Amino acid sequence: MNDVSVLAAAREIQVPLLAAVLITGCAAKAAYLLGTRTVGGRPGPTATFPLGSRRPAATALCVIELALGAALLLTATLAWASPAALAVRVAVALLFGTGAGALWVLRARRPDAGCGCFGELSTTPVGWRVIMRAVLLCAAALPLIDAPPLHMPASAAQAWLTLGVIVGEVAVIMALSPEISQLLLRLSHADPCEVREVPIARTQSALHASAIWRRYRQFLVTTDAADIWREGCWRFLVYPGMLSSRPVEVVFAVHLAGRGTPVRVGVLDTGANLTEGPLRLSSPVLEKPKNKE
Amino acid sequence: MAWRWLQSHTGKVRHIGDSATPDWYARRALLRAAVFDQDPGQWTRQPAVATSVTVGALVDVRADSLVVDTDRGTEFFALSPTTMTWLGASTSPSALRFGDPLVIRHRTPNPDLPEQRVAERIWARIGRVSGTIVEAYGREFLVDMHGQGRQHVVVPPAASRQIQVRFPRLAPGYLIDVIGTRHRDHLLAVTPATAQPPYHAGHSPVPPMVNGHVVMPVSGSAVWHEPDGEPPGLLGLGYPAIDPESGTELVGGTGCVRLPYLSLGTEVRIRNECSERAAMLPVTSEGVIARQFCDRCVKCGTSPKGRVADLTIAAFVELGGNLEDGCFNATLTTRTG
Repeated sequence: MNDVSVLAAAREIQVPLLAAVLITGCAAKAAYLLGTRTVGGRPGPTATFPLGSRRPAATALCVIELALGAALLLTATLAWASPAALAVRVAVALLFGTGAGALWVLRARRPDAGCGCFGELSTTPVGWRVIMRAVLLCAAALPLIDAPPLHMPASAAQAWLTLGVIVGEVAVIMALSPEISQLLLRLSHADPCEVREVPIARTQSALHASAIWRRYRQFLVTTDAADIWREGCWRFLVYPGMLSSRPVEVVFAVHLAGRGTPVRVGVLDTGANLTEGPLRLSSPVLEKPKNKE
Repeated sequence: MAWRWLQSHTGKVRHIGDSATPDWYARRALLRAAVFDQDPGQWTRQPAVATSVTVGALVDVRADSLVVDTDRGTEFFALSPTTMTWLGASTSPSALRFGDPLVIRHRTPNPDLPEQRVAERIWARIGRVSGTIVEAYGREFLVDMHGQGRQHVVVPPAASRQIQVRFPRLAPGYLIDVIGTRHRDHLLAVTPATAQPPYHAGHSPVPPMVNGHVVMPVSGSAVWHEPDGEPPGLLGLGYPAIDPESGTELVGGTGCVRLPYLSLGTEVRIRNECSERAAMLPVTSEGVIARQFCDRCVKCGTSPKGRVADLTIAAFVELGGNLEDGCFNATLTTRTG
């Protein structure tokens, strides 16, 4: 294995790598465009455009990336001298070169703006890492212009060499990508219970599986809740009941943190004078979680 | 004289009285207390009762007093040289006309004579339109108030420049929030209530991710809204993060403030950081409009982005807010955990 074969392998893998970068970037931008449609706060070089032009510009960039990514793959097996392959590869190099320049300008004019390269993930202000990444991708696209058609590795050794180069280049790109930390943060993030949407059916299932429900069910007139409401991490379910021949309301509070969460219960005498405060016929009972999250 | 607020909507936003009575929601506090055996602390306080604000319709203006028809009957308010009157701009009480809807902030100089009240500020025919512009004809706009019907807004030439400075994109799809005087079928806008958000309606920025629980209190902007099927003197607020399981369709998300999900009837504590007045208020409606605006209040300092409460007129004035300002810097505390 010599330096020449490493460089040759590196040149050959640029087609699928750059195509993957372009198509991933387009997909992330499209998701952001469709999801928020903000016209003022959009990250990326379009932040320097007039307000009315930002969305069309972002859409155009997304379409260009998708078209070039697809064209790279479609022309991958064509010889570099083919006019179609040559045009696509020159356009890719121009795109990344222009991108590097635009990011430099963006950093100077809007130091607070993210690059927008991967949509919502790219909100970190543009720094040297992002600019270096664009320069690297441009540098990777330049030797592609006269690269031979893509072909399967001729031997196992060449396959391992190709794989090693791919891993190395992906590692460099990831090291230059602030989006990775954002992605990891999102994947590891779980909303706290008070801002999490929790279906009522799930709350009822948790209640019906609790020991408190089994203990108090005998006092309920019906298992259809008369009232359900939510306060942050707690959802309250009220059922009419009878206790010692007196009409009561049995109220269950179910914590919404997840499975095995606390369930509490209280009983209110429905005949009591409400202005005098609650008349409890039994002390509130707390069912402690067995495996609280 | 029977009186009513001038504004009339075909409301779709759910309010506290739509499907259940206020007593039904008030009962929830008792049921909650039956469950939790802890010391509720500040939550043991009774809900706020309006002590310094009256909403009604003008019956007569005399040299030294106002006669106002309210839901409690005919009431009298003394006028003093310091009484401020607003009718699109500062004016004198003599400019008021029979039937004008009034909001009066008053004080009682002698606590032993609570019926002797002096009007401090009077707002007449005041109205507010917040929502999305759906049609624009020159300086006339049709505004969708997100489930609270559509409102016709007219911007007079005298106020056009002032409003356009804060709302540069008066075009369909953009948000508008203006304060003015109510007329039969339109609002005559006289002042912007905020600065126009730079995004299309329904696409406010996503609130930042937080690790751990929402830290109370939450700071932001508190605004006011006109009664839409609510009693004019109601003390309550529209809350931006109503539990979606209660049938709320959270179009455009829950706004740019991360707030705990609550239900109608839940009590929250709201504090006016400018006047340093606070009250326990029930959630009486969905804060549909509040979710749309990711703006700041600069009444006293600069608030964090986002509206935490859309107060009823009576609640806003009771907490020391001036209606023509549109907002006050507020902190909101909920029972969570």
